Amino acid sequence: MASSEAAQRPTTTQGRDAGRGRAKLPTGPRGPHTSRARKVAANVVLAVVCLLMLSPVLWTAFSVIKPTNVAFLNPPAFTFTPTLDAFVNLWQTTNFYQYLGNTLVVAVVSTVVALVIGLPAAYALSRSPGWVSVALLVAALVFRALPRTAVVLPMYEISRSLGIYDTTLALALALVAINQPFSIWLLRNFFAAVPKEIDEAAMIDGCTRFSMLRLVIIPLMGPGIITAALFMFLFAFQEYLTAVILTDVSSATVPVFIATQLGQTLPLLQQAGAASLLLTLPVFVFAFVAQKYLIAGLNSGSVKG
Amino acid sequence: MRRREYLYLVAPSVLVMFGLLVIPLVRTIQWSFERVRYGSPGTFVGLDNYRDALTDPRFGSAVAFTVVVTIAVVSVLVVGGYVLAVLVNGLGKMRPIVLGLLLVSYVVPGLIGGTMFSWLFNDNFGGIVNQVIRLVGLPEVLWFTDTWANRGLVAAAVVWSMIPFAMLVILAGLQGVPKEMLEAARMDGAGSLRTHWSVIAPSIRGVLGFVTLISIMDVLRLFDQLIPLSPQAVQIGNESLVLYIYNRAFLDGGQQLGLGSAMNVLLILLIVVMLLPFIRDTAREGRS
Amino acid sequence: MRTPATGPRLSPPSLRRGPLAAASTALVLVGLTACGAGSRTATSSAAEVPCEVEVAEPTTVNVLAYNSSAIDPFTNTMVASCTQGDLTVAHEPIDFDGQTQRTTATLAGEVGTYDVLETYGYIIPQLATEGSLLPLDDLVETYGEEYDLGALNEGMLEAMSYDGQLYAVPMQAQMFVMAYRQDAFEELGLEPPTTFAELREVSAALQESGQFEYPLALPLLASGDLATAYDAALGSLGVDYVDPETMTPNFDTPEAAQALEELKSLVPFMDPQVTTFDQPSVQQQMYNGDAAMAIMFSGRMNDLTLESNTQYAADFGFAPPPTVGEDGAQYSALSVDGWSIPTNSAVDPEVLFEVIATSVSQEASEEAVPAAFPARDGAVSEDSSPYAAAAIDAIDNAPAAEPFPWTAPIANETLPVVAQAMLDQITVEEATARMQEIATGVLADY
Repeated sequence: MASSEAAQRPTTTQGRDAGRGRAKLPTGPRGPHTSRARKVAANVVLAVVCLLMLSPVLWTAFSVIKPTNVAFLNPPAFTFTPTLDAFVNLWQTTNFYQYLGNTLVVAVVSTVVALVIGLPAAYALSRSPGWVSVALLVAALVFRALPRTAVVLPMYEISRSLGIYDTTLALALALVAINQPFSIWLLRNFFAAVPKEIDEAAMIDGCTRFSMLRLVIIPLMGPGIITAALFMFLFAFQEYLTAVILTDVSSATVPVFIATQLGQTLPLLQQAGAASLLLTLPVFVFAFVAQKYLIAGLNSGSVKG
Repeated sequence: MRRREYLYLVAPSVLVMFGLLVIPLVRTIQWSFERVRYGSPGTFVGLDNYRDALTDPRFGSAVAFTVVVTIAVVSVLVVGGYVLAVLVNGLGKMRPIVLGLLLVSYVVPGLIGGTMFSWLFNDNFGGIVNQVIRLVGLPEVLWFTDTWANRGLVAAAVVWSMIPFAMLVILAGLQGVPKEMLEAARMDGAGSLRTHWSVIAPSIRGVLGFVTLISIMDVLRLFDQLIPLSPQAVQIGNESLVLYIYNRAFLDGGQQLGLGSAMNVLLILLIVVMLLPFIRDTAREGRS
Repeated sequence: MRTPATGPRLSPPSLRRGPLAAASTALVLVGLTACGAGSRTATSSAAEVPCEVEVAEPTTVNVLAYNSSAIDPFTNTMVASCTQGDLTVAHEPIDFDGQTQRTTATLAGEVGTYDVLETYGYIIPQLATEGSLLPLDDLVETYGEEYDLGALNEGMLEAMSYDGQLYAVPMQAQMFVMAYRQDAFEELGLEPPTTFAELREVSAALQESGQFEYPLALPLLASGDLATAYDAALGSLGVDYVDPETMTPNFDTPEAAQALEELKSLVPFMDPQVTTFDQPSVQQQMYNGDAAMAIMFSGRMNDLTLESNTQYAADFGFAPPPTVGEDGAQYSALSVDGWSIPTNSAVDPEVLFEVIATSVSQEASEEAVPAAFPARDGAVSEDSSPYAAAAIDAIDNAPAAEPFPWTAPIANETLPVVAQAMLDQITVEEATARMQEIATGVLADY
C-alpha cells in the first residue's frame, strides 16, 4: 500500500482540480498520529476488499491449474504440481479462438456503429430541449431498462426470416440497438458540459453544423467518447442472453460457449474454467487501461445529472 | 438549431431504436394475446395469457422476490460503492492498480462470474467458504437449498458483479468535490460520518441518483447469476421475474411463447412504475 | 474421518503421471492436433475407421452431441474418420443442457444449424410426431449391408422407432448402475444392496461407521434428473405414467405414492442439498470420497475407474441397482442413445446416414468399450470393464420404456410437483393428486 505521505500528497490522477503542488493541508484537530492510524486502517480494509473481490477468479484459477484428480477435491488440495493442460486442451480441442474472434468482432462493430449514430443524436438532444428531445430521452430510459427477452425473442424470429440468424452481423445490430440508449444518455451529458458558445463561435467562423460537430465539438470531448466506447465494448463483450438466442454454430461468442460447458464433467469442467479465465484475462488488462479514462470521462460531466 | 439539422442528427439513432427495439416490442405485445409457439402461426386468445400469468402464485412470488432483492442489493450497492469510492479516492500511487483489480468482477459476464462464485460455496467443488466456516466451528450453511442462505448468496454475487460500477461512477463524482472538504471528512474522526452524510453525499446527489437508476434497472433483470447459484430456485421461492419467464415460457422449446410474452409486458409495466420518479425528473430537466 | 488412501496403490509407479509425463502428453497433443475440426478430449481416444463417403462439393456436417465418456467415442470417431476430402464433420463440446436447448433451437428453424443430432429413446416419440426427424428405414435398406447394420440389437432399434418407423440409428444403451466403495464395504462386511430396504440398511451401517456422513448420492436435481428418478422408481414398482389402452394416468395408484415415499426414505442418507445434484455432481461426490454409493447412468461409470479423475478409482465396485420393492424390475431407466437426421438439414441425407453408420461400425463400437455399452450385439462381455457385468444384469432387469409422445411432456410438467414432495413442501397425497390432474391435462392433447 502507498505510504501515508504519498497518499496525502495530491497526485495528477486525483483529478484536474487537485491543487497540484500545494502544501500539505492542515491535518485536523486529532493530529497526524490518528490520521496515520486511520490511513492504515483504510488501506487494510481496501486490501481485504480487493482480495474478496478477486477470490472467485483466484479460486477458479487454482482449480484449473491443479491436476485433474485433485482439481475439485473436498477438502481442497493446497499442494499440487501446477499444470496448464486445461488451457492446452481448450486451445487444441475446441474452436475457442473462433469464439474469441466472434466476440471481439461483435464488440468492436457494435461499439463503432453505436457511436457513429449515437453521437449526432446525443448532440442534438443536448442542444435542443423541445418536447421531442424529452420524449426521446424518456424512450431511451425505458429502452435501457427493458427485459432482454421482450426484444430478443422477436429478434430471433426476425433474424431467421431475414436469413441473418447466427451471424455476427445480426448479433452486432441487436447489441447496437440494446446498448444505444445508454450511450445516448452518457454522450448527451458530455455534450451538455461543452458550452454552447463554442458552437456559435465555430458557426460564425463558417463551419456548418456537421463540420463543426466533427471538427470542433467531438475533439473537445475526447475522454467522454472514450468512456462511452469503453462501456459499449464491455457490454457487448459480456452479453449472454442476446448472444445465446441469436447465435448458434458459426457465430457463438465466448460467454455462450462457456455457458454450454458448465454442466460438463472432469476434465472438461476444468477446460470450462480455463475458458472463463481466458475471457477474464483480456478484460483484466482492459480494466487497468480503462480505469483512467473511465474516471476522467465520467467526471467530465456525464453523471452530474 | 434548425429543424432540418435536428432531424438529420437524430434520424439514424431513432431509426435504429425504433426499427430494432420497437418492432420486436410490438411483436411481443402481439404474441401476448396469442397462443403461439416458435415457427408456427398463433391463434388469438384475448387476455387469457394475462389471466394465466396473474393467477399463477409463482408469478406473485417472483415479483416479490425480485422487488425485495432489488431494494436490498441497490441499497448495498449505493452505500458500499460510496464507501469504496471514498477509500479508493484517498489512495496515491496505488490507485490505478487497486482500481484495476476492483473492476475485474464487473467485466466478467454474469453467468460465468456466478459459476465462479458458486464454486466457492459448493462442497462438490471443494468450496473454500464452507471449509472456513467449518474451521471456525460455525454450523453448516445450505447455500443452495435454504431459502435465505441462497438469497444471501445470490445477493452477494450480484453485489460482487455490480459494485465496481457503482464505485467507479461515485469515484468520478468525488473528483468534483473540493479536496478540502474530503480531507476534512477524513481527518475529523467522529464528525467525518456527519460530513459525508450532510455535506459530501448531497453534493453528488446527481451521481448517486444515476447509480441508483442504473442499478435498479440491472437488478430488476436478474437472471444470469441465478442459473448457477440457485439450481432449485423454483422450489425455494428464489425465482426472479426473468427466470420465471424463461422457465415458464421458453425452457420447454418455446411452447408457451404467448404466455411468456404476456409476462414480459407485465414486467415492462412494473419497470416503468419503478422508474416513474426518474422519468419525471428527466422530463422536467429536459424541458429546461 | 475420511482419510485419503496414502498406502501403496494398485497401479505400478511407472504408470503414475508426474509433471514430466503430463508435459510430454501436452507436447504430443500439440503435434497431433495441429489442425482439423471437432472435439478431441485429452482422455478419449478416437477410433480411425474407414469412411468412404464422397461429396460433390465442400460440405460441412455439424454434429450436436453432449459430452460424456460414453458418447464421446462415437462422436470422435465420426469427426476423426469422416473429415476427409471435401467433407468436414464438425463438433464442439457441449453439456447436456446445452444439447437440449440447441436441439429445440435448430429444429424450430426452416433450415437448421445442425445436421446430425444425438437423440435418445425418451424424446424420439415427441420429435417424431412433430415431424422433426427423418425416418431412416429406406436408408437402412440401402446401406444396411455395407455397414453391417443387421448386427444392431433388435430391442435398441425398437427403442429408436416410433409408429413402426426408425428415427435414429442406435449407438449404445445406458441404464442405471450402482457404484460403491468396495474398500469400505469390505471393512464393514457389507454386501451391495439388492432392494431399497437393504439400501437403507447398508446406508445406515455406513453412516454409523462414521466414515461417511452422507453415504448415498443420487442425481436428484429438482429441475431435471429428479423426473428420471421418479420414473425409475415407478417403473421398478411395475407402473407406467399412463395406461396406453385406456389413456388414463396412473398417478392415482398406490404405487405412485409408494414410489415417492421410497425415494423420500433415502433422504436421511443423502447430502441435504442432493436436490441440486446432477450426474456430474454425483461423480464429484464419489471422486471426493464424500459418498460411498451412487446410482446413475452407466455412461458415467467409466469416469470413476480412471486414476486421472480420482484417487479412489481402484476402490470402486459396481453392481446392478436395487429394486424398489421386494422383487420386480430394478430402480433403473433404460435409455438408448442414437443418431438422428433432422428434416430441416440442408445436407444430403445419404451423406449424413453414411457418416452416422460409420460411427457405429463394428470397429468403432469395439473401440467405444469400456466407456460405452454399444448397440452391436456381443460388443460387451462380462469382462469388458469393471462395471460390464453389472451393466449386463441391469440391461435385462430395467423397467420397460414408455415410447409415447406424451411421456416427455408429462415428465416435464409433473417434475415441479415431485420436487415439492421430495422437499416436504406438500404431502404425498397432494402430490399424486396434482400429478394426476396435470397428466390428464397433457393427455387431452393426444
